[in-house]
Amino acid sequence: MDELHLLYNYLIVGALLFSIGLVGFISRRNMIVMFLAAEMMLQGVSVSLVAWGRFHNDWGGQILVIFILTVAACEAAIALALVSMLFQRAGSLDIAFWQSLRESNLDAFVDQELPADDEETPHWPTLTPAGVEPEIEEEETVHRTHV
Amino acid sequence: MTQAQTIEILLVAGRGLLIALSFWLLLPRGAAGGRRLGIALGAASLVWICWEVPRLSPWSTDGVFLVLAAVTVVSAVGAVTLRSPVYCAIWFAMTLLGVSGLLLFQGAQFLGVATIVVYAGAILVTFLFVLMLAQPQGFAYYDRISWEATFSSIAGAGMVLVLTAAVSSALAGTPAAAAADKTDTDKTDTNTLAHAEVVTPLVDPSTPEKRSADILSQDHMERLGAQLFSRHLIAVEVAGTMLLAALVGAVAIAVQHRQITSPNAPQHGGSRHGGLEQRALGQGGLGQAGLGQGGQAHG
Repeated sequence: MDELHLLYNYLIVGALLFSIGLVGFISRRNMIVMFLAAEMMLQGVSVSLVAWGRFHNDWGGQILVIFILTVAACEAAIALALVSMLFQRAGSLDIAFWQSLRESNLDAFVDQELPADDEETPHWPTLTPAGVEPEIEEEETVHRTHV
Repeated sequence: MTQAQTIEILLVAGRGLLIALSFWLLLPRGAAGGRRLGIALGAASLVWICWEVPRLSPWSTDGVFLVLAAVTVVSAVGAVTLRSPVYCAIWFAMTLLGVSGLLLFQGAQFLGVATIVVYAGAILVTFLFVLMLAQPQGFAYYDRISWEATFSSIAGAGMVLVLTAAVSSALAGTPAAAAADKTDTDKTDTNTLAHAEVVTPLVDPSTPEKRSADILSQDHMERLGAQLFSRHLIAVEVAGTMLLAALVGAVAIAVQHRQITSPNAPQHGGSRHGGLEQRALGQGGLGQAGLGQGGQAHG
């Protein structure tokens, strides 16, 4: 019965990981965090697959997880290339910028109240300069002769 | 409907409500607070789920599993709900560590290490590269609000409930549980899942194929390699080709972008917003056609 309990526990963990990834994918607006949540969903599925493979004593679970790993790597490469391209065009990682790609029967999402941008920018402490400034030659700033 | 059924439905609904509420409180919702309450409710819902699930028999095994599972799930929640994307990536790395531990706990040696090496070592580092290139200083406004926080938390709670219910109903119908129901005549306790005497053997000696697929054997790696390169050889080759295609595609996307920003790029009329999208869709289509023609020329 312990194998059954192990399977049950692992399926619950896989379900939780998948649901957390789902919530993150639906609700976050940063393109990279959305992709992170998609990867989280793949992790949940991997955990469930390995658990079923162990329970049925079948290698297919682990082999499918190997292929999921491969596909996730390819997906990460393409997705991050696309994300960086979209960032170059839009200037921000906000996916609401591209919302005209939505379906035609939906209304546009308009931000009602935006929180202020620099509300939580941390202020790092600064040290008062002390000592004598070193003399810097002009040629050294252009081209360093030695490191 | 009997009273026991109503109580069960109420318990399930209460669990779903707790999970939905903790998701909703934890998601970034602008300047609204309540994160600590969200953390408390999330911990409470995790403890409740853990209570419902049957535990493993030696308490040391159970303790190790609980620690790994707690690390994984808490890091996953952090990776999805924090306001800074770099923190999200770091907590995702912690989730990967937890998942790797869970896979090693199951006996999947190769996957436990491959998760760290490939996911945390390659994919996550690529994430961080792109983040460092694209993330503005401080917290951007789009990191501190979320789209449909209410709807997504309800959807997440619904997903957890559905998957949990599916798991428990699937396991209640397995032959082991059915045999436990039959042999469990002396005990008066009705919780058959926790007190059954039937032990399912790990190695099923019925067919030769099942006898050889022993995941917990000493030569786990040899057997996994043998399975992978004999039964799934075509899939391995296809995966290699797919990696090549992804590499070519990523390079093509990056190079194509540089061609767009050159002054010879085709200009579309309209507003800046519309022009960008038309250019994006048009160049995306041209890029696909270019890739297709290039592939056919070389193939």
